[in-house]
Amino acid sequence: MECRSHKKTSLPKEMQKIALIGNPNVGKSVIFGILTGKYVTVSNYPGTTVEVTYGNLNLDKNRFLIIDTPGTNTLIPMSEDEKVTRDILLNEKIASTVQIADAKNLRRALFITLQIIEMGLPFLLILNMDDEARSRGIIIDDKKLSEILAVPIIPTVATQRLGMPLLLQHIAAPSCSNFSFKYDEQLEDAIKEVALLLPDSNISKRSLAVMLLAGDESLKEWLHSKISDAVIKAIDSIYQKTQAKYHEQLSYLINQRRLRAADEILQSVFTPALQRARGIKESFGKWSMHPLWGILIMASVLLLVYEFVGVLGAQFLVRFLEESIFGRYLNPWAIKIADIIIPFPFLRELFVGDYGIITMALTYAIAIILPIIGTFFIAFGILEDSGYLPRLAVMANKTFKIMGLNGKAILPMILGLGCDTMATLTARILETRKEKIIVTLLLALGVPCSAQLGVVLGMLASLSFKAVILWAGIIMVIIFIVGYLAEKVIPGEKSDFLLELPPIRIPQLSNILIKTLARVEWYLKEAVPLFILGTVILFLSHKLGLLNAMERITTPLVVDFLGLPAKAAESFIVGFLRRDYGAAGLFAMAKKGELDNIQILVSLVTITLFVPCIANLFMIIKERGFKTAMAIVAFIFPFAFLAGGALNFILRAINIKL
Amino acid sequence: MKRPEGRQYGWHGGKMKERDQRIDELLELLWMMGEEGLNDLKEFLKRAEDKEAEALMAEMIEEGLITTDKDKIRFKNKGEKKAEQIIRRHRLAERLFSDLFAFEAKQAHADACTFEHILSPEVTDSVCAFLGHPPICPDGKPIPRGECCKKFQVEIKPLVQPLTNLRPGKEGRIVFITPKHHARLDKLSSLGIVPGSIVRVHQKKPSFVLEIDETELALDEDIAKEIYVKEV
Repeated sequence: MECRSHKKTSLPKEMQKIALIGNPNVGKSVIFGILTGKYVTVSNYPGTTVEVTYGNLNLDKNRFLIIDTPGTNTLIPMSEDEKVTRDILLNEKIASTVQIADAKNLRRALFITLQIIEMGLPFLLILNMDDEARSRGIIIDDKKLSEILAVPIIPTVATQRLGMPLLLQHIAAPSCSNFSFKYDEQLEDAIKEVALLLPDSNISKRSLAVMLLAGDESLKEWLHSKISDAVIKAIDSIYQKTQAKYHEQLSYLINQRRLRAADEILQSVFTPALQRARGIKESFGKWSMHPLWGILIMASVLLLVYEFVGVLGAQFLVRFLEESIFGRYLNPWAIKIADIIIPFPFLRELFVGDYGIITMALTYAIAIILPIIGTFFIAFGILEDSGYLPRLAVMANKTFKIMGLNGKAILPMILGLGCDTMATLTARILETRKEKIIVTLLLALGVPCSAQLGVVLGMLASLSFKAVILWAGIIMVIIFIVGYLAEKVIPGEKSDFLLELPPIRIPQLSNILIKTLARVEWYLKEAVPLFILGTVILFLSHKLGLLNAMERITTPLVVDFLGLPAKAAESFIVGFLRRDYGAAGLFAMAKKGELDNIQILVSLVTITLFVPCIANLFMIIKERGFKTAMAIVAFIFPFAFLAGGALNFILRAINIKL
Repeated sequence: MKRPEGRQYGWHGGKMKERDQRIDELLELLWMMGEEGLNDLKEFLKRAEDKEAEALMAEMIEEGLITTDKDKIRFKNKGEKKAEQIIRRHRLAERLFSDLFAFEAKQAHADACTFEHILSPEVTDSVCAFLGHPPICPDGKPIPRGECCKKFQVEIKPLVQPLTNLRPGKEGRIVFITPKHHARLDKLSSLGIVPGSIVRVHQKKPSFVLEIDETELALDEDIAKEIYVKEV
């Protein structure tokens, strides 16, 4: 088989590229992190990585560009994130392809291996999670496998860095496999026929021909840029002609043949587990999806997270930081220092006044929000790494179906509790446009991000547990109703529910810590400047008298309709920048006793539903397009106030005690 | 099983076949009226779509299939057995088309009407065993039991059944998959779910979860229903 090594063809100065590819959730990002020293989010569920990440590896004076790709089960893409991976192999000159396999699921890995071989790419194969495979009694003869495929095979346990020296030794010296297998005769003829019509590219013509015969639509665009319409038509007619000879879809026949080839290899190298593991982790995994126990486990998990984030983070730590550290020490000091070194009252106020950068922006960002998101990210990291989250999809599938989604959509929705911006990106794991729009809408509308959630929980917890339940219930009902209506209104298709469930694992403390730190760092970098910007805007508006004017203008809405003090308008204004900032403003008001209980609940429901923050808005524009983004905002803005107003009237009418 | 009069199963060309089929239809009608508790001759003639029903009836009486008594019409033993077989073939065929190929009820019925005349006893019993000796047809009417069903009453396990029929913890080897969309097959096969693979039912509620090799996979019940397995 022709070997397509790009080592010598590319410019000498250009860095050699190494692509990491493999099935979802096999540890590509862990290995990427080890190779490049660059942290990318590592979690225990498929689809953590939806974008390509680049990093550098220095090895023996050579620099390599390592490319981490979204996981895929086949190189004939069926979703957006899978296409990204195939396109890297197609468009980038890759010097070395590193395939990472989950050792215990070698069959599925070989299915991809065979496609890499078909592409004629030099590669090496990592058998990761070797420990898990062994503990299940799986035996892999990696020497024999290496003989059959004629490429380096490297067993690793990436999370413990086992096997890394061997990987480094081989990473720059991959081989082309001489393993080959044939499809049946008629198909082979068609492959040859199509291959003759194809342009040169980074991967073999044979592999492109197979993809095209498998009906790969995602290749069309690339093809149009390379060859004439007439040739594409000719290819199409070969496809039609060949398909007519078979009862079954060509793609299915091709996949079956590949799996048969994989099975032939497996027979001589793989001894499967005799008995399925049934330890405590497996039992937990099982119970967490039980129709009854699953709900109880979910409730307990929520309660624990609430205790940790809502009580420990949002009350205890916030009180400590805000009242002691900032209230008693930092802010008074800052005011004193400012009094001494800043002679102009205007500037002094900018830093330490009512709308001061230190006394407002930093106090909000560091004292109120940081402890909340810190605790939240720890709890969230533990959940992510345990493998529990995808199991929620099993519980939620039927409910999500009513909203035009399927259980898989719970992943971006839950990630939204971390950060709606990132979650909007993760909507890529969904298959249809309709699903992506619905998820994006629901995220922007009703899913509070960690910072906002923490502030909300902190405020509500100081009222009563009943208030927490009421708030969460109202938001969930609204999400459900809007989802249900969106399903009816937004055209397009639903997709099948088909989701891989990762094994339940005990989270590694080091990964939780690194992940939490990375996220806190990201929060500080992204949020603090916006907090400062928001504060400056408030400060200037205040100085120019605009704030009063704005409060007057919004009085009918804020005061009459929502029943809130006029000052709450400020929170909605900065809420445009970041929703958590808006919530933090309400938090401060509540602490000063400027809001009664019903006002707290109404304002929180409104700010939760309120327009997405600027970063999220940009992400929506990027992912869904400007028109869709505007439509979403145009819906959410009036809807948030309408819902808040309705709630105000209902709560007042029934005169509820919170 | 001894093959009764070859005529009713084979193709005998033109006229002969047509006449046999028309008699089959009348026998079928009489059976179905019987299920409703009717045996009125006038009603029978009214429902018969055949214009020459009366002439055909005369032939049927001559052949000893039916008998008339004033305004009543009844099966004779031979006719009843024959009707039972026709009904059995028809309803089994309906089940086959609707369960396996997911045809609309109307289409399944139309095609079953053709099949009821041409299935041999061997094929009929094979279909019956294949479907797991189903007791009722898709619209709920009973399927007359065949010899094969009686034999299998002890071990009633069907040979091939949808994955959803397996109890949690049971394993099955995939025999075939009948997806609604082709894209499903591509997705399933890229996860290793193809004929020949062994899958295990992990749970059925609240969502269906299966295990293949060391992978747990959650999926819609609708998809699981389309995966036909042989229990191992």
